Amino acid sequence: MSVPPIMNIETFFTIDMPYRERMEIRRTVFRGGEGPKVAVVAGLHGDELEGLYVCHRLAAWLDELQRSNPKTLLGHVELYPAVNTLGLDTLTRGLPVFDTDLNRAFPGSAGGPLPERLAAALMTALSGSALVVDIHASNIYLREIPQVRINQEFESLLVPIARNMNLDLIWLHSAATVLETTVAHSLNSCGTPCLVAEMGVGMRITPEYCDQLVAGILAVWKGLGVLAQDVPLPATAHTPLIADDSNVHYLNAQTSGMFVPTTSHWTDVHRGQLLGTIVSPFRGDILSDVRSPVDGILFTLREYPLVYEGSLMARVMAKTEGTV
Amino acid sequence: MKRNLLCMTAPVREGFDIPCHEIGPNAAHPAVALVAGLHGDEINGVFILSRLADFLNKVEAGAYPELKLVKRVLIIPAVNVLGVNLRTRTWPFDKSDINRMFPGSTMGETTQRIAYAVLEATKRAEYRIDIHTASTDFEEVPQVRLYGPSAAERKTAHLFGLPAIMERSLSPVFTTTMMYSWKVWPGESFVLRVGQGGTVQLEHCQRTFRAMVSFLGRIGVLEGVQISVEDEEICCFDKPSAFRVFAEKAGTFVSDRQVGRWVRAGQELGFIYDSFNGSVIEKVVAPVAGLLSGIRRHPLLFEGDLILRVNRKGL
Repeated sequence: MSVPPIMNIETFFTIDMPYRERMEIRRTVFRGGEGPKVAVVAGLHGDELEGLYVCHRLAAWLDELQRSNPKTLLGHVELYPAVNTLGLDTLTRGLPVFDTDLNRAFPGSAGGPLPERLAAALMTALSGSALVVDIHASNIYLREIPQVRINQEFESLLVPIARNMNLDLIWLHSAATVLETTVAHSLNSCGTPCLVAEMGVGMRITPEYCDQLVAGILAVWKGLGVLAQDVPLPATAHTPLIADDSNVHYLNAQTSGMFVPTTSHWTDVHRGQLLGTIVSPFRGDILSDVRSPVDGILFTLREYPLVYEGSLMARVMAKTEGTV
Repeated sequence: MKRNLLCMTAPVREGFDIPCHEIGPNAAHPAVALVAGLHGDEINGVFILSRLADFLNKVEAGAYPELKLVKRVLIIPAVNVLGVNLRTRTWPFDKSDINRMFPGSTMGETTQRIAYAVLEATKRAEYRIDIHTASTDFEEVPQVRLYGPSAAERKTAHLFGLPAIMERSLSPVFTTTMMYSWKVWPGESFVLRVGQGGTVQLEHCQRTFRAMVSFLGRIGVLEGVQISVEDEEICCFDKPSAFRVFAEKAGTFVSDRQVGRWVRAGQELGFIYDSFNGSVIEKVVAPVAGLLSGIRRHPLLFEGDLILRVNRKGL
């Protein structure tokens, strides 16, 4: 007797485009038992690809589970790997035509224009989940270590979950009203826990980061009862540091030019250490040295070399008692 | 007098600046601060303010002996200078919206530094006016926008003489806009929304130019202005008075209606055609009687796009 398929790719949102075509946005659903529902969202920004690969790796793991031990999927898993379908298909961060950042359109409204309508559809689909993970990949300018960013408003609910996600950093942000229109804030505000994972760099994938997050997500799912306790999982070895407004130092460019790093990303640095230089393609001398303001860890490093005066080049987290 | 608000370097081209006009008697702070071009594709505002600067500079030079500028006026025709030149709404390098970078900072991102410089130059003015357009897809009747206004701002809004005053609450979503930062300071703040992005609409610009001159006259900054009595009434609209029509079908929307006209409930305002086979798939009508305050100008419609807005009078 064959096992009924638990995996299904289905369309959860459609909208007509001006000339004939119909835009469809799909999700992959793994239906297991009556346990909790969890979801992973990626590709809200069309230039962030790391989350797409995480979804692929999760799907591969769940495929294998389906083959080897389908009954151990106790809950219901939904993967939304490519929410900004048109943006991803056209190398555009925002929603093409609408020139809109989809992650500033939540909670949306069902009868409005595409960004709001899509946001509302996603809210409906995700509400009630035991956990949603929204995966971002920084942008094309900055490389980030695997981390989760949490609005302090939801700290007590989310930090305990985030600690088990196999990430390197938990960054607690002060409550910023400007972020109220994100999917995470909208879900958390209506009682559906949502973690924002941030890692890698735009327009690239970093497979080791993706596998690190996959292991963390599976571990958290097991903790929530989505996966049976006896399912063997990939090893998790990462314990997060805790960053907040008090220990994160921003290094913004003092002049415009090309930023050339001299230190590797995600390494210990000491106060005064040279992290990179700003040079000009027209001149042989160095325009500006970029030095660490503190003893700490270099957790953000600029990937895209050209900088304007003010462009962010690096973030260093000071080593303080805040670390765990 | 031209002054640079901010001079900055660029990676491989020459440095750039954000110039402003300072016109009228010397003062520690301008009486009126006028800003446009926070978005580089909103050309109506850039054109209106550059023409106004030309006019006021000529007043100062004595070209209009009956007029006298008695207080200082600061005019920034375009904040997003590179965006204007490259025809982009946002700051072209990192695609950030300068009107989401306020109050800004001297140490932060490029656009935060720009925002800080603009706020410093304008925040102490008695009257602050920020001119915008709708997007490049939509046209708005020239209007005063009030966000969580004071009683004084409600009253002063009439002094422009523009046909519509639209009131909105000051949502937290606007926290990082220039308007929100202005409102922390004493004085009065106004947003004007004029026409459509990406173009100069002469009629809207001329009307708004006259509105600005009338305003400067009525608040006593420009003496000697002969203010013609507009025969058109000024209507105040709150948010519940706005009736929006969204596209139930995708296709090609065509309309020859003008914004700023009064329409009847059920009046035909345009048609949606099937973009492939050309058949009419929907007649678009006014949802209520009122002022056609905004209408879509880009013909290609996604399902759900905003087509038009009619504001009902006297609620």
